[in-house]
Amino acid sequence: MMNVKRIVSRIEKNYILSNLRKEERIDGRGLWEYRKFRIESDTISSAEGSADVTLGDTRIITGLKYDIGQPFPDLPNEGVCTVMAELLPLASPLFERGPPDEQSIELARVVDRGIRHADCIQTQKLCIKEKEAVYILFLDMYVINHDGNLIDTGGVSAITTLLSAHLPEGIIGDNGLEWTGKYLTGDDLVNELPLVLTYGKIDDIIFLDPNLPEELVCEGKISISVTEKKITSIQKSGATTFSIDDIKMLGKKTLEISQKLRKELNLLQYKTSIK
Amino acid sequence: MPLIIKDEYPEKLFREDGKRLDGRELNELRPIKMEVDVIKSADGSAYLEWGNNKVFAAVYGPREVHPHHLAKPDKGILRVFYRMATYSVFDRKRPAPGRREKEISMIISDCLEPILFLELYPGTSFEVFIEVVDADGGTRCASITAAALALADAGIPMKSLVSAIAVGKIDGKQVVDLSGIEDKAGDADLPIAITWYNEEISLLQFDGDMDLDEMTKFLDIAKDALSKIHQIQLDSLKSKYITLKEGEGEKKR
Repeated sequence: MMNVKRIVSRIEKNYILSNLRKEERIDGRGLWEYRKFRIESDTISSAEGSADVTLGDTRIITGLKYDIGQPFPDLPNEGVCTVMAELLPLASPLFERGPPDEQSIELARVVDRGIRHADCIQTQKLCIKEKEAVYILFLDMYVINHDGNLIDTGGVSAITTLLSAHLPEGIIGDNGLEWTGKYLTGDDLVNELPLVLTYGKIDDIIFLDPNLPEELVCEGKISISVTEKKITSIQKSGATTFSIDDIKMLGKKTLEISQKLRKELNLLQYKTSIK
Repeated sequence: MPLIIKDEYPEKLFREDGKRLDGRELNELRPIKMEVDVIKSADGSAYLEWGNNKVFAAVYGPREVHPHHLAKPDKGILRVFYRMATYSVFDRKRPAPGRREKEISMIISDCLEPILFLELYPGTSFEVFIEVVDADGGTRCASITAAALALADAGIPMKSLVSAIAVGKIDGKQVVDLSGIEDKAGDADLPIAITWYNEEISLLQFDGDMDLDEMTKFLDIAKDALSKIHQIQLDSLKSKYITLKEGEGEKKR
């Protein structure tokens, strides 16, 4: 029978912690090191863009679908993008069936805010006719395997999905909505490439990219979304406190690490080429 | 408002050279790829690519029944949850499970139960989660085929594997393995599954029209196709345990 570890033993916690004190991780990483990212884009043929991203053993498949609808009255010439996350019970014995719980809503919201406040999507390109018709994008993330740090995996998978987009381009003609024969691609849609980096905290030790055992003994986590030069969104979660100095340090660290990661991942390579 | 490109059906389902729209012969399967042990957190799992269908299946169990009142004192229970991702179909599917998904979950459960020895596991449950991430006709058959692999991968005692396929009639001709378009625009659709320990039928549905001769032929062509699928299932299970000698893996890459 599968060992469902909702509660981690004190021995295991002490083992993880004593390793961290030596600046070592149970999987051999340093404190500020990511597990390996593997990215495949446009893998789902029914979706208008998709990405299959793994971070270590954590795997999320995200797909893009669209609808045409009315814009919000205060933003009459801007399209809308909504983010949803499903923690499939297939992915982990820790996930239960049923409507989205706090954890999945937090995942969707943090990824959404990272994208929204970074001005990542050129929402004006998603307008077909002012006040009447705009694209409503659905970025739906499905967790296929859970081994910790869903947020960073989700962030990369959301951006890669947007880059791989191929939305049929519409205009309002004489007979209503028509297809121009062309597509809107990642090139048209994506402005900025925000990345979200999550840190775990146990006692007074902070480290990047917690894996599942680490996440289960973590007292708290903090996720910081950044563009190339700026911090755009922060989420502190878990019942612990971070010192002001820690937050300052993490802001600086995040910009440093994200610049390196941005180069390594080279996400622009997943841009669609069809026109 | 409607989507920009409409989901239209073609008038003819055969090309001028007599082949099907995707270039297949009447009794030709779409390309199939199977892999087991793809979800590390699960007790057993499988991934199946069948044409454009992409399906994950994961098995958890035997484990405690939740909610508890569903437990049976004399045998284990099997619960199957078939779900489709919102982006797996042309029109975005609503995230909550619909009637179709619930019905298919039930018939898949009924199809798999005969191959298990549930009487050996009183008071426990086996849960099979199936997620269709990309759909193009025949997802219930793909799901059954993947679920059987995941059960075997979990090391759960089984009488045999079970394999499934849809056969059907398009433009008056009998074909195997209907694609999405053929399923929607065709005249008849018959999904069928076989349990190999007794070579009997464990899932059977039919929509369309057929006479007795046609029914006989449907069952015959389905059996042929099913043995091919069974072989791919067996190969994928064995390939998990193939070991490479040092250096051999490097050459292959």
